[in-house]
Amino acid sequence: MELSFIIIDDTELDHFIARKMITNANSAFKVKSFLDAQQALDYILANEIDASIKVILVFLDIYMPLMNGFEFIEEFEKFDPTVKDKYYIVALTSSIEASDVNRISSYEDVQEKITKPLMADDIRVLINRIAEKFNLKIT
Amino acid sequence: MAEKIKILYIDDEMDNLVGFKATLRLDYQVFTAVNIPGAMEHLEKHPDIRVIFCDQRMPLKTGVEFFEDIRSTHPLPMRILLTAYTDIDSVIDAINRGNIFRFVKKPWIEAELVSAIEEANKFYQANSMLSIKNDELQRAYSELDKFAYSVSHDIRGPLSGILGAINVARDMHDIAEMKEMLFLMEKSLKKLDTYILSMHDYYSLQRGELHIGEVDFKKMIDEFKDIYKVYANTANIGFKIDINQREPFRSDTVPLKLVLNNLLSNAFKYQNKNTDAKQVELNIEVHKGVATITVSDTGIGILGNHLGEIFNLFYRASSQEAGSGFGLYNVKSALLKLNGQIEVNSVLNKGTTFKVTIPTK
Repeated sequence: MELSFIIIDDTELDHFIARKMITNANSAFKVKSFLDAQQALDYILANEIDASIKVILVFLDIYMPLMNGFEFIEEFEKFDPTVKDKYYIVALTSSIEASDVNRISSYEDVQEKITKPLMADDIRVLINRIAEKFNLKIT
Repeated sequence: MAEKIKILYIDDEMDNLVGFKATLRLDYQVFTAVNIPGAMEHLEKHPDIRVIFCDQRMPLKTGVEFFEDIRSTHPLPMRILLTAYTDIDSVIDAINRGNIFRFVKKPWIEAELVSAIEEANKFYQANSMLSIKNDELQRAYSELDKFAYSVSHDIRGPLSGILGAINVARDMHDIAEMKEMLFLMEKSLKKLDTYILSMHDYYSLQRGELHIGEVDFKKMIDEFKDIYKVYANTANIGFKIDINQREPFRSDTVPLKLVLNNLLSNAFKYQNKNTDAKQVELNIEVHKGVATITVSDTGIGILGNHLGEIFNLFYRASSQEAGSGFGLYNVKSALLKLNGQIEVNSVLNKGTTFKVTIPTK
C-alpha cells in the first residue's frame, strides 16, 4: 500500500472515528494514532519509512493540551525536506474561530484543512484526490 | 466614623490660610501651603487629597496655571478656584485650561465652601468608583474572550465528535465495535458535562457572596469521602485521611468544598499508571486560627515549566485524562475569596503535593 495514515488528536473518540472511516474506505490502510503531538514528532524523526509507502497522510488536531497543532507544525517545519516530503498534513479542527483557521492555513506545510465533524465522504474524497495527485496505487 | 476628607488650600496670604483652616478643620483634614512647592509637597505625601482650593492671584503663577500643571500629574483631586476678581476670559481660561470643578468667590461664605467640598467629594467618589469598575470590566472582557475561544473548542469538540460517530455508525454492523464507540461517546459527553458544571462553579465563584459559618472538617469530609473511597477501591489507589481539628474554624463551606474536591479529584485522576503503590493522602490541620490542607498523590507529576501556568484559566498540563482547564483556576478563585494561599510541589513521575492555608474568618 503506497498510502498510510497518522492521526494526532487528544480525544480518543476522534481517533476511533477517523480510523474507522479510513479503514472503511480501504481495509488495507495502516493507521498510527498519537494522543500527544510530541510523541508523533518523535516517531516521525526516529522511524525510517517503509520504501513501499509514498505518502503519509497526517490528520492533525489543532486544539490539544501540552503541544498544540500550531506548535507541532512549527517543529515539523524544521525537519529535513527529505523527511517532510513524504508527509501530507491535513489540519482537523473543531474551531469556528477565524483567527485559528487563518493561522493554520498560513503554514506552508499544512496542505489542507477540514472542519470537524469528520464525515465518511470527506475522507473518501480526500483519499481519491491524494491518490490521483501523487499517482498512488491503492489496492 | 469614616476618615475625614483631605483638602488642600494654596494662597499667598497667610491670613486667608489661617481663617480657612479655622473654619473647616473640625469636619475636614485641612492642609495649607503659601506657595506651590509647599502644595506639591502635600500632594506627594498625601495622594488621597480629594479637593484642592487655590487662590487665583499669586505671585509667579496664577491658580489656573497651577491647576493646568497638575492636571496630568495629579488627575484625581477636584480643583476649586478661589477668586475675588472674575471676568469672562478668566472664567473661560479656568474651565478650559485648569479644568476646574467650581469657583468660590472671595471673601468666601462658610456654607459655600462646605457645599463646594461636599459636591466635589461626590464627584471624586464617583470617579474613583468608575475607575475600579473599569478595571473589573476590562478583566471581565478578557475572560470573556478566553471563554468564547474555549466554547468554540471545548463545547464544539465533544459535539462534533458525537456527530462524527453517528456518521460512522451508518457503516457499522459489528455490535462489539458499536459498544466500544458508545463507550467513547459517553466519555466525550461526560467531559462536556464536567465542563459545564465547572463553568457553573466558575460563575458562582465570581458572582456569589460569602456565607460564613462554623466548619467541622471531619463532618465535611465524611460527606464526600465515600465517593472517593469507591473510586480508590476500583482503581486500586490507597486513600489516607488525617484530620486534626481541636479548635473552631469559621469559613464558607461552598468554596472550601470546591477546593477540596478539585484537589482530590486531580490527585485520583492524574495517577501514574506504572506505579504499583498508588496513594492519595489528605491532611487537614487546624492550628491557631489557620487551616492547613495538604493533598498529595503518587501521580504523574507536573513538569517544572508548567508549574507556573497550572492555575491559569483553560491551561492543561497533561494529555492524560480529559481536563477542562477550569479546575485549578477555580481553586485559585475560591482561595482568593477565603484569603487563602496555595503552594505546589511536584516531581515528574513521582507525585504532586498541594498545600493550602486558609485563615479562620
